[in-house]
Amino acid sequence: MPTAHADPPELTALVRSAQRGDRMAVQELLDLLTPYVGRLCGPIALQDGPDAAQEALIVVFRRLGQLREPAALFGWVRVIAVREAVRVARAAARAVPDPLEDVPAKGDPQLAADVRDVLERLSPAHRAVLVLRDLEGLDEHAVSALLGVPEPTVRTRLFRARRNFRKAWGH
Amino acid sequence: MNESWPVAELDAVRRLRVVARTTPGTSYAEHLLDAPFDRVWALASDLEHQLPLLITDIKSFTVTSAAGERLEARARSPFGLRARFDVVLRPGWCLMQSRFVLGGMAAVPEGEGTRFAFLGGLRVPGIRLADRALHSLLEPLGGRALRRFTDQLGP
Repeated sequence: MPTAHADPPELTALVRSAQRGDRMAVQELLDLLTPYVGRLCGPIALQDGPDAAQEALIVVFRRLGQLREPAALFGWVRVIAVREAVRVARAAARAVPDPLEDVPAKGDPQLAADVRDVLERLSPAHRAVLVLRDLEGLDEHAVSALLGVPEPTVRTRLFRARRNFRKAWGH
Repeated sequence: MNESWPVAELDAVRRLRVVARTTPGTSYAEHLLDAPFDRVWALASDLEHQLPLLITDIKSFTVTSAAGERLEARARSPFGLRARFDVVLRPGWCLMQSRFVLGGMAAVPEGEGTRFAFLGGLRVPGIRLADRALHSLLEPLGGRALRRFTDQLGP
């Protein structure tokens, strides 16, 4: 769990200091949140991941004053990061999927490159569902609430995303 | 499989952009310098010599203690005013904060050169309300500091 990086009382003190305008606390929060935001934005926004992570953290720190419960920090950041990643990826207009036949054969030594290549063939919205279900382990209800789409849509996107993923990997 | 998923990196200049765009009353500027990262950062991280050159309101800047990447420093203005600064200094990144002032520098290699960013700002109660009014006053500060720094790198 991402919250393992900081004890809850320590995290609360840090968030409260940052909310009061202490920029050294903001910097510590940046150290804590950047890897988490990077893991969420990377698979959704792909080559625009650094832009997405930057924009997500700008939204996080602009709205930090609205966070009443510091213990909810990572869940709150997750909502912002996923939405910003989908928005940035869509705006970058690189969401047109290439034919799945172009995907490298399974077993290619460059596994990371392959995963990236397969993700390229999904839309940002499908990538967001995959990330939330398979990386973050959220249930369909939580994914539906987070993305603001009905549960059947989540199920359809997840089904299509996984089918495309399996197809690309030759299962 | 999960460890093979791409991770988005946030380099030091992007981090400083986040601080700049979420802190009212700040001036921020960045520039692509025609010098390698090591040379740029060796110069920038020499805070005691650099800060009085870059910022006209600082006459002297003395590091009073250091523990890893965390430093404490004492700054003096041309009028004799003193301020205690908390500083975090690591390769490519520096953030400094006193009761009333915020400062930052960031650098990342880019091609043959270095992208360098400078941030300066005031920490005054109510600055959020005065941000627009102060904008025209503060806005050029970062650019000026950046030009002074670039001049030192020479041709």
